[in-house]
Amino acid sequence: MKVLRSFALWCVALLAVVVFSIALRPSGSGTLARTQHLETLVRCPACDDLSVAVSNATSAIAVRHEIATKVRQGQSDNQILTSLESVYGTSILLSPPSSGLGVLLWIVPLLVVVLLIVSALRLARRR
Amino acid sequence: MKRSIMLSSLAAIVVVVALSLFLATRHPVLGATEAPSPLLGKAAPQLSGTKLGGGTWSLKSELGHVVVVNFWASWCGPCRVEAPELSAFAWQERNKGVDLVGVVFNDSLSAAAAFAAQYGSLYPSVVDPGGVIANRYGITSPPTTFVINAKGVVEATLLGPVGAKQLEGVVAHVKATS
Amino acid sequence: MTLTWLGRVCLYVSFVGTLGGVIEQLRALRQHRTSRAIRWAALALVGIVAAVGVMEFALITHNFSLAYVAENNATFTPLLYSITGMWSALEGSLLLWVLLQSVITFGVLYYYRRDRGDAVVGWATTVLFGIAAFFTLLMMGPADPFLHNAALVHQGAGPNALLQDNPLVAAHPPFLYLGFVGFSVPFAFAIAMLITGRVQDRWPLEQRRWTVLAWGSLSLGIVLGAWWSYQVLGWGGFWGWDPVENAALLPWLTATAYIHSVIVQDRRGLFRVWNLSLAIATFALTILGTFFTRSGVLVSVHAFSSSTLGPLLIGLFFVVVISGAGLLAWRGDRLRAPVGVDHPLSREGLFVANNILFVGFAIVVLLGTVFPLLYQAVNGTQVTVGTPYFASVAAPVSILLLVLMAIAPLVSWRSADARVLWSRTRVSAWAATLTIAVLLIVGIRRPAELAAVFLAVLAAGAALRTLRGALLAAIRRGSWRSAVRAPATGGMIVHLGVVILAVGIVTSTTYVTRTEVTLATGQSTVIDGQLIGFSGFRNVSDALRSATQLRVSVDGHRLLPAVTTYNGRNGQTVGTPAIDSNFTRDVYVTFEAVGGNGSTSGAQVRNNLPAGSVVLGVTVEPLLAWLWLGGLVIGLGSALSFFRRRYNDEVTT
Repeated sequence: MKVLRSFALWCVALLAVVVFSIALRPSGSGTLARTQHLETLVRCPACDDLSVAVSNATSAIAVRHEIATKVRQGQSDNQILTSLESVYGTSILLSPPSSGLGVLLWIVPLLVVVLLIVSALRLARRR
Repeated sequence: MKRSIMLSSLAAIVVVVALSLFLATRHPVLGATEAPSPLLGKAAPQLSGTKLGGGTWSLKSELGHVVVVNFWASWCGPCRVEAPELSAFAWQERNKGVDLVGVVFNDSLSAAAAFAAQYGSLYPSVVDPGGVIANRYGITSPPTTFVINAKGVVEATLLGPVGAKQLEGVVAHVKATS
Repeated sequence: MTLTWLGRVCLYVSFVGTLGGVIEQLRALRQHRTSRAIRWAALALVGIVAAVGVMEFALITHNFSLAYVAENNATFTPLLYSITGMWSALEGSLLLWVLLQSVITFGVLYYYRRDRGDAVVGWATTVLFGIAAFFTLLMMGPADPFLHNAALVHQGAGPNALLQDNPLVAAHPPFLYLGFVGFSVPFAFAIAMLITGRVQDRWPLEQRRWTVLAWGSLSLGIVLGAWWSYQVLGWGGFWGWDPVENAALLPWLTATAYIHSVIVQDRRGLFRVWNLSLAIATFALTILGTFFTRSGVLVSVHAFSSSTLGPLLIGLFFVVVISGAGLLAWRGDRLRAPVGVDHPLSREGLFVANNILFVGFAIVVLLGTVFPLLYQAVNGTQVTVGTPYFASVAAPVSILLLVLMAIAPLVSWRSADARVLWSRTRVSAWAATLTIAVLLIVGIRRPAELAAVFLAVLAAGAALRTLRGALLAAIRRGSWRSAVRAPATGGMIVHLGVVILAVGIVTSTTYVTRTEVTLATGQSTVIDGQLIGFSGFRNVSDALRSATQLRVSVDGHRLLPAVTTYNGRNGQTVGTPAIDSNFTRDVYVTFEAVGGNGSTSGAQVRNNLPAGSVVLGVTVEPLLAWLWLGGLVIGLGSALSFFRRRYNDEVTT
């Protein structure tokens, strides 16, 4: 019983801390945060795999300006990414489209997890 | 229990066979970088000489065509990968007003001839004794490719091995803007 | 012509040594006698050492009669970069690979010289000889490092600029290759154990010993690579999920799973098939990684120039996996342990979860890496799989791994008792909760950071508790020093290193700030609490390079970010970042542009700024140095783990 009480006490303390952290969480919905987030999703046109958020190539700076302008104009994330894609090609996005073949990239991890859990359970059941 | 190990081994083998076949049939990605060069926008320097297989070639007689000039050497690794691509490009563009010529850079005649025979002989290559042409074009390291428009002006300089697709793109751009 | 001839002869000698080794081992196995293969290994080693000597001699004396030297060296290349030039490009890097492979083959034969008649050693070394022979053949054929340069060149092209502006080029590849080559040993032993059917007694632990050595080297190699990229690439980051980086990560993931899983085999004889599969998979992924790096099919800033090696390396990959899977299918059922896992939340059960996480993550990273190739084959268009995808998979995996690190060392074998677990975790749990409460109060509130620190304290607590237990047990036995060789000591120290690394990664990426600031000469400003000042230009020029440096001060320390043009390869211009580093934060300064029309050494010009002013890129990353500290601790821990006692030995010592 003592163990249960000390565990419960700790759970309460942790819960309190978690509640506070959620309440005090810095807001991430300003336009600046949105722009910065979008910048991490777009590849610098002259680089192989750096995003425009971190690259200082001239083309990267140009794309950053474009994103900032479009965010100010009120375009949605999807609209901005699609318009960039039409100018620079699909490879400008650092994450492939989730439609078409890209769906594999999300299904396979899930499949792998399911497969491995199943095999682990079979291992456990064998006595 | 033996069956489950058999099954997973079989599955692994199938996946690996498919993956291996797929990867073994991929082509290397070639990428040349467009470089700023003092020749851009200026008339191309004189380029004429004896071809590797005999005969002569001169840039002046190609006015009206887009000319791609590729400096290469037999001791240059990336040139070996690039040569088949250039051959393919030369063949597909042969009647479309685009000419491809190679220039041997700092190499012995026998080695260069052997290289051309082995890797890409669908386009002519000019020998450059004394490196005179290389000096005029400012070459220090092959492979370097220049694209000269129909009026004889240098429009693009590419450093590194260039692939057929990339070259197509650059040549199309040059044709469109000249 | 002489150097070409000499180098090639040395390679032929080495090849004869490896071939002789294979033949001698096979004959010894068939005739059931002691093998004399160590002499062949010595011959192979002498051959490759001589070949390396020839290449280094050519590089150091700038002998351009070798095409490789003409492409990767120049008369003004400094000694260090001439030496490292051997592994700066494809053909030479194979020399390093075969050198390490021959050293390891000889090392294994020497280490087990008293077991020369043992079939497991016999088969294992046969495989090692075979691998060395393959890579030597590559150099005798398509990737000839001693190709003669027919032209009389007086000057070489020099190494790539990014390979000659930081001394880490001397550290990263050797450690990395030692890791890759090292994984051939557990693979060889796995094949040997499968062929002979002997998966028990001492061999699994011996196999693990070599894996720990290779794993430790690879970990150090990867961290050194990250540090090197960080220092030279100019974007302030250390990992880009680039195909070649992933190529090094994949075998590391399966090797980590293997190192953990084999503990269970040592203790309870379980997971034999899993462990053999992991050992085979690790080496297979090493070869696949080599393929990505050397075939040129994937675009990468780290890749070697494309070559014809691709199909040959895939061939080896194919042989490795087919032989491994085939042997497993043939022998697998005989190896299965008679008992199973008693409870999913027992120590064994958590190790199963560990295996699942690492292998699953490896599969996903592999898929992400080859996906652009797949997409192009199917749809014809290019697509990029970059950081957003990999990070969104890595984040939950990392969280789960930290949870495992926090719980598994404290959970009992064979049973899961929540009460016992809580009594062992209580102190760490309170420490973790108090830590994030303090962080909240002082203003550190991003959820990612809080979660990471919470789990880090829990994981560190578990590690420290285990270490304390080992120390107390050793003291009770009368020798506190014997704690060093206790089974868990090395591993727990590695866990501490991982925790430090994890906190460093999360903090530096969550709280990174990037700013561009324009400063006139003599001006200073405050960015993110750091005082940045610019006091003037400084031009340096020597035979190797010419650079425009900026005199910058960060918090009183002098830095010289620059734009450097290296002579040689068409005057390649690169940015040279400057870093002010301490244990609380790194300030990363780059020379972005100069104002007016006075441009020197290739720096970008911004005409709308007054002349004499500069644009600096300033990136502030808190706790970034913890990555390198964490890596060091991981290296130390893995060195200790090499000397780990067997579980059974602990009772008798």
